[in-house]
Amino acid sequence: MISKQLLNIVMLIEIGLLMLAVGLFFAHGLWLFLNQRRIRRLTEVARESLAHLVTRGTVNVDDIDALRQLPNNVQVMAFLEMSRNVTGAGKERLSFVARQVGLVDRAQKLCVSRRWTRRLRGARILSRLGVVDPLVQQLLSDPHPAVRAQAAEWAAAQPSVPVISAMLTLLADPATQARFAVQDALLRMGGVVAEPLATFLERHTGRAAEAGLRVAESLAEPSFMPAALRLSCSEDVGVRIAAAKLLGAVGDAAAAQRLIELLDDDDSSVRAAAAQGLGRMQHWQAASLLAYRLRDSAWRVRRAAGLALRSIGAPGVLFLRRALKEDDAFASDMAQQVLDLPTAAASG
Amino acid sequence: MSGFTQTAVSQILVKGQLIVLLYFFAVNGWYLILLVSSLLELRRHMLLITDESRHLLLSSTLSPTISILAPAFNEEATIDASLRALLALQYPNLEVIVVSDGSKDRTVQVLIERFDLVPVKTIYEHRIKTKPVRSLYRSATYPSLVVVDKDNGGKADALNVGLSFARGELVCAMDADTLIEADGLQRMVRPFLYATDVVATGGTIRVVNGSEVKFGRVVRAAVPTSLLAGVQVVEYLRAFLFGRLGWNRLGGNIIISGAFGLFQREAVLSAGGYLHDTVGEDMELVLRLKRLSYERGGPGKIAFVPDPVAWTEVPESAKVLGRQRDRWHRGLADVLWRHRRMLFNPRYGVTGLFVFPYYAFVELLAPVIEAAGLIGLAFGLATGVIDWNFAGLFYLTAYGLGTALTAFTLILEDLSFHRYETFRDRALLFWWALVENLGYRQLTVYWRLRGLWKFLRGKKDWGSMERKGFHPVTAS
Repeated sequence: MISKQLLNIVMLIEIGLLMLAVGLFFAHGLWLFLNQRRIRRLTEVARESLAHLVTRGTVNVDDIDALRQLPNNVQVMAFLEMSRNVTGAGKERLSFVARQVGLVDRAQKLCVSRRWTRRLRGARILSRLGVVDPLVQQLLSDPHPAVRAQAAEWAAAQPSVPVISAMLTLLADPATQARFAVQDALLRMGGVVAEPLATFLERHTGRAAEAGLRVAESLAEPSFMPAALRLSCSEDVGVRIAAAKLLGAVGDAAAAQRLIELLDDDDSSVRAAAAQGLGRMQHWQAASLLAYRLRDSAWRVRRAAGLALRSIGAPGVLFLRRALKEDDAFASDMAQQVLDLPTAAASG
Repeated sequence: MSGFTQTAVSQILVKGQLIVLLYFFAVNGWYLILLVSSLLELRRHMLLITDESRHLLLSSTLSPTISILAPAFNEEATIDASLRALLALQYPNLEVIVVSDGSKDRTVQVLIERFDLVPVKTIYEHRIKTKPVRSLYRSATYPSLVVVDKDNGGKADALNVGLSFARGELVCAMDADTLIEADGLQRMVRPFLYATDVVATGGTIRVVNGSEVKFGRVVRAAVPTSLLAGVQVVEYLRAFLFGRLGWNRLGGNIIISGAFGLFQREAVLSAGGYLHDTVGEDMELVLRLKRLSYERGGPGKIAFVPDPVAWTEVPESAKVLGRQRDRWHRGLADVLWRHRRMLFNPRYGVTGLFVFPYYAFVELLAPVIEAAGLIGLAFGLATGVIDWNFAGLFYLTAYGLGTALTAFTLILEDLSFHRYETFRDRALLFWWALVENLGYRQLTVYWRLRGLWKFLRGKKDWGSMERKGFHPVTAS
């Protein structure tokens, strides 16, 4: 039925495959064992040389030579490891040493590679070393989102006007990964982005505005107010929610007034964000309106209103206690739950 | 037997065996494609994560909030350690919801005493019908901890209650005894940050048996020496590293382990939460989310993260393991039956045309075909209709090729995450890869057939899972 020859061929192929797999598996294990010992030894040398160079601040030719002679992977590993633990002058010295040993040159070459994985690697090395380089800035418009995201991470430490401007453009990036990295980087840049971001928000709508509003909420600068007020009237629910949160974070009289208006928004998420914002501002004058929202048809609004009343303090708690006697079971139950919450859990 | 009948039986046997042989060739050929696909996917993944700064995500206020749903049933002895490990996970915006599913022991009392819980008015948003909730507690010490005590209704019901209380954009469903890697959530959340169409992510689950566990974390991974646990290590590696990862590249993932999965909360709630009347609630939910994404639009991508993110204890007794496999197969059959309209239906894209048929004809029917092949082979050899050459070829095709593929999976693990470091572990892994074909695999065929039979008879019980517990730490 089956010829012996066919059986032998199949058996030979399988034995070959199996032997290949076993050989590779154990050879890789042996290589790892020997290589790891070698790498461990070399890494110790690298760490010691780098520590000398970074902490002493003087360039010792022997240390530079020792680092130069290391294999690429060990060199990169040692520099990236050290980069996590140094800031300021230490980081500058680290990047100087990286230039001396040729690591920066190699990373720059990677940044212009045709392969995105290499560009990513190059951008990663330069980001971690904190090297100021226009090549990485160019990668903010890279075709691959992972590379753009990495360039954004680099940009967080380089808050110059052109970099901020390029970053703001990326708030409309269609790739979530890049958008998230840009938002995070803008946040890390801090107050320096407030003015350009405020201008950006005044001119944009939709997804870009929503992404910008989230950054603005964390920065909570008064200069965002005009944009927040304008965007709180947007047709896009996501934008209105983000604007309400920003208004709550900035928290002046105009913001409070607009948040009170938003308590009557058609969308329950917007009403909940408005209640949350008023609570965050501790706007006690809105306590009665928040108490009214304990009867809202949407659970999330009732909950946000209850928590906001609790955040307001004594006047809010008074309204919560009054709500316990309400005929409306939704309102009294929510008031009871919020009053029951331990202080630690009542913040949100 | 007349000459004609004898000839007919021989013909049927020979043709049948040839069909089974071709089936195994086709299946192993497909596995080879999956292996290559997973190799490419793993390479891409490793390039993406090498030297990445996950600590940025850790400190970002923009990270999505995750609500961990931890169902607990009679976990008095372990709940303290398990919960402390969860609260210590490295993730910035985290909420932990423990749902005691009608525990009859002191689970809730232990939680009240050790986590400073206070009762709060029990009201919540009823978007999914569940068993009644008895009481709700919040912690005066841990603001992100919520404890719910409810009537017993099973894991699916407990998860649905957890969903009702969750406030995170993402929910993490897990088993009470799953050990999550400290940075597991950071790794799992990555696909949600990378794409807007992701509705759920799953990660690689490893076998904890034999490894050292300290304070709810695996401190040293090791391959167990007992047969059943050992072969399951190899099985898990194969299932996750080349099965799910391979499908990930081809866009065909429809399974997320119930031990640890991350979902978009709103999508799960809109889909109606977990089903109660199935033993395969994890797969059913994922397939339903996938199906609804085709029917209603919206996110429907199921992403798989190859990083080892969680560890689970596997059964070491044949009786318990048999029950588990029987249940898994019943679950598979039930889920495929419920969603049978997807089969070869172009409306459901790749899932309907390729993934669903694969699960129906390869995963579901494999034990039937394998059993038919083995019985036919034995009968054919006994009656002399089939010669030893054919038997040899059959064995090599059905099992030999599989062993070679498994060995390549071990290489994948070694080249990527390399969690089993010693020569002993390496030798044991290879040993279990060889041994699993000599009896164990045939045993799983029996268990799966039993599961199919029970499904056909309409049985929906879970069976109990006895656990040995994790090994205490030994000084090393």
